Amino acid sequence: MSQRTVFAVLSIALVFLFAAGAGAQTRDETIVYAITSDVDTWDPPNSVQRTAIIFGYQVFNHLAERDLKTMKVGPALAVSWKALDDTTWEVKLRQGVKFHDGSPFTARDVKATFDRVLDPTKKMTARGNHAKVKLVEVVDDHTVRFRTDGPYPLFVERLTAQVMQSEKVMKDKGHDWMQEHPVGTGPYKLVKWTRKQEHLLVRNDDYWGPKPALKYVRIRIIPDVATQIAELVSGGVDIIKAVAPDQMDVIDKSGQARTSSSPILRTAFFQIDQAGRTGKSPFQDKRVRQAANLALDADGIIKHVLNGLGDRVATAVNPMAFGFDPSVKPYKQDLAKAKQLLAAAGYPNGFDFRIRTTIGTVEPGVAQTNEALIADLGKAGLRAQQSFIGESVPYISQVKEGKAGPMFNWSWGYYSIFDADAILYDVFTCGQVYSYYCNKQLDDLVHAGRSILDEKKRAEIYVKAQRLLFDDAAYLFKWGLRGVWGISNRLEYEGPRDEIDRMYLVKPRKS
Amino acid sequence: MKRFVGRQVVQLAIVIVGISILSFSILHVIGDPVVLFVQEGAPKEEHERFRKLLGLDQPVYVQYWRFASRAVQGDFGKSWYGDMPVLDLVMERMPPTIYLTFAGLAVALLIAFPLGTLAALRRHTIVDTFCTMVAVGGQAMPIFWLGIMLIIIFAVQLRLLPASGYGTWQHFLMPAFTLGAFLAPITMRLVRSGLIDVMSTEYIKTARAKGLGERMVVAKHAFRNACIPVITVLGLQFGQLLGGAVVTETVFAWPGVATLTVEAIRNQDFPVVQCAVVLLALIIVTVNFIVDLVVGLIDPRVRVGA
Repeated sequence: MSQRTVFAVLSIALVFLFAAGAGAQTRDETIVYAITSDVDTWDPPNSVQRTAIIFGYQVFNHLAERDLKTMKVGPALAVSWKALDDTTWEVKLRQGVKFHDGSPFTARDVKATFDRVLDPTKKMTARGNHAKVKLVEVVDDHTVRFRTDGPYPLFVERLTAQVMQSEKVMKDKGHDWMQEHPVGTGPYKLVKWTRKQEHLLVRNDDYWGPKPALKYVRIRIIPDVATQIAELVSGGVDIIKAVAPDQMDVIDKSGQARTSSSPILRTAFFQIDQAGRTGKSPFQDKRVRQAANLALDADGIIKHVLNGLGDRVATAVNPMAFGFDPSVKPYKQDLAKAKQLLAAAGYPNGFDFRIRTTIGTVEPGVAQTNEALIADLGKAGLRAQQSFIGESVPYISQVKEGKAGPMFNWSWGYYSIFDADAILYDVFTCGQVYSYYCNKQLDDLVHAGRSILDEKKRAEIYVKAQRLLFDDAAYLFKWGLRGVWGISNRLEYEGPRDEIDRMYLVKPRKS
Repeated sequence: MKRFVGRQVVQLAIVIVGISILSFSILHVIGDPVVLFVQEGAPKEEHERFRKLLGLDQPVYVQYWRFASRAVQGDFGKSWYGDMPVLDLVMERMPPTIYLTFAGLAVALLIAFPLGTLAALRRHTIVDTFCTMVAVGGQAMPIFWLGIMLIIIFAVQLRLLPASGYGTWQHFLMPAFTLGAFLAPITMRLVRSGLIDVMSTEYIKTARAKGLGERMVVAKHAFRNACIPVITVLGLQFGQLLGGAVVTETVFAWPGVATLTVEAIRNQDFPVVQCAVVLLALIIVTVNFIVDLVVGLIDPRVRVGA
């Protein structure tokens, strides 16, 4: 190698080194958060992705936000709210709040935000969340009134799902610009987005609330979960989510990171085609459905297959949802009784049927728990053939089109609304796309529950609804899920129960 | 030559139209994209509203015609999820994949040529057996497994390389090796068999008879002809290499067009899938076209149109 070549090689190496070092934030001041797929937009109401909700929490604020300790909805950009009558809510706004561009946050921004979302000619996915809101009126700079289409008990819950955007930005910059440039009031600001690669956020030093402890957040897109774990245990990233139960040991024994698990607002169950959407089946007989529930040893599966990462529930209503009734006790395995019920229903030798299952995008260890569950059903004579669909779109299509009976694997995340209505209406009432159950009695209860504002009366209604679902063995009830996070030992953080990671709650760990 | 190029261009057009129709139909068969678009808990009317807004209420052939008539003008529409021009999105992700593919190709050649030549010249010796073992081993290793093994060794244990990501030359090493290892074995086998064939031909005997040294015989006379099948197959393998890039990109969090496409298929973001599929097909067809030309240059006997 000539001297000249050596020189050229060295200079190239130096350029690379400088390029790598330039503009780097110090690692101590930075949280590196890994996600499996990138958002497509920084305009949260224009996205269906869960990640977009999480991103929204870092850069924007909502009128109301949930306190992760009490799980109650409390003030954020709104300081108070009250129902003036059955169909009018008045919301008082926080004063002195500024958007990242320096303009003040006022009632006009709230109105503009909702008007934009509710416009039926626009492709805003959040519209479905607020379809009950008819009109938003500005009373004064810091007071807004919402008119709803009938009584709307979920109004306050829904406020936690809508980020506040700036009227000025909507007018001056427009929709397309907003897709890549979030202007919020939140604790962090977006500095740079390299698509499908990473996002860099910096602390908003003018933030109205408690300031984040760490100055920078880097959100990295790492599609492969095994790679995420490798990054976590080698110190490349700090927080990962959706760790599989069998991978927890790898993280906990690394000395570099630990796992944190927390119950989440998602309940898993097998839907049974009681309504006969897919056609006639033995499961339309209540005794057969009860037999299925009695065949299942759910506690055993949670303990041995899921490493304890599940919370047995009596119906599909999640313990964290408003209206949950702890007095209904879950079915316990009783094979003798199950066989008896099957015989009484006319199936003394049991029968064969099909169970549809899919990949576990949201349910950890689902392939293994499905095997265990099918084995349990077989013990009572309910001989299931598993029919597996490896992609979620065709699976969801079949479910929505009513072709997934007589039994299929499903779970429900309540679209983050902590209320029994958020599952009972969509998954149990007659004629809904996700519902394979139809019972006039239940429909009446659910409709009563969504048309009054009185919390006590609503709670009583949901207690009745849960007893009914339990006695009728509407579906094959399983458990509430738990999420597992992997967290670097240099940070103080806990997996949030609403699955919305908040980087502004992360603190350096005192050693 | 002109006739040859003309014929290739016509073929290219037919292939692209065929591919676009195929991917369009497959997307429509997989399921209803509105299923993913409407949030859980949204009223039923939202389904219809989105179907209209996305143009999915039209018959499939109308939808295809709309897509095709705009696409020929370079307008692939906007991503349903990101509201940005699809062409920008795909072009932005194209370079990382192309760099990775070429780096993988380079690694494959660096492994395949020396080992293949050695194996051919030292046929039926321990060297040949060793090379065969490498080939079989390399072919048997799935990409995702090799990728994760490399990460565990070089990032987690030795802490020498970043486990994943994109941006510096260190980030290139493991993905390029992973992808290269996938292509190297078949290339090596071809170099070996090609060289063995050539070495037994008459003109090699002639070269030797002229008194040329063995090194000269191999390098100047044998190699050029042994290369022909290798280049042809490499061209054909290019598509495979892009396929391998999907897995490699996923394992190493490489922000390329392969992962973009897979994700768009999962999301049923039709415009993104269409654009990516058409452009990737274009690349593969072009590469094969270039391969045909190169082979023609090397070997006058197959010079086309002549």
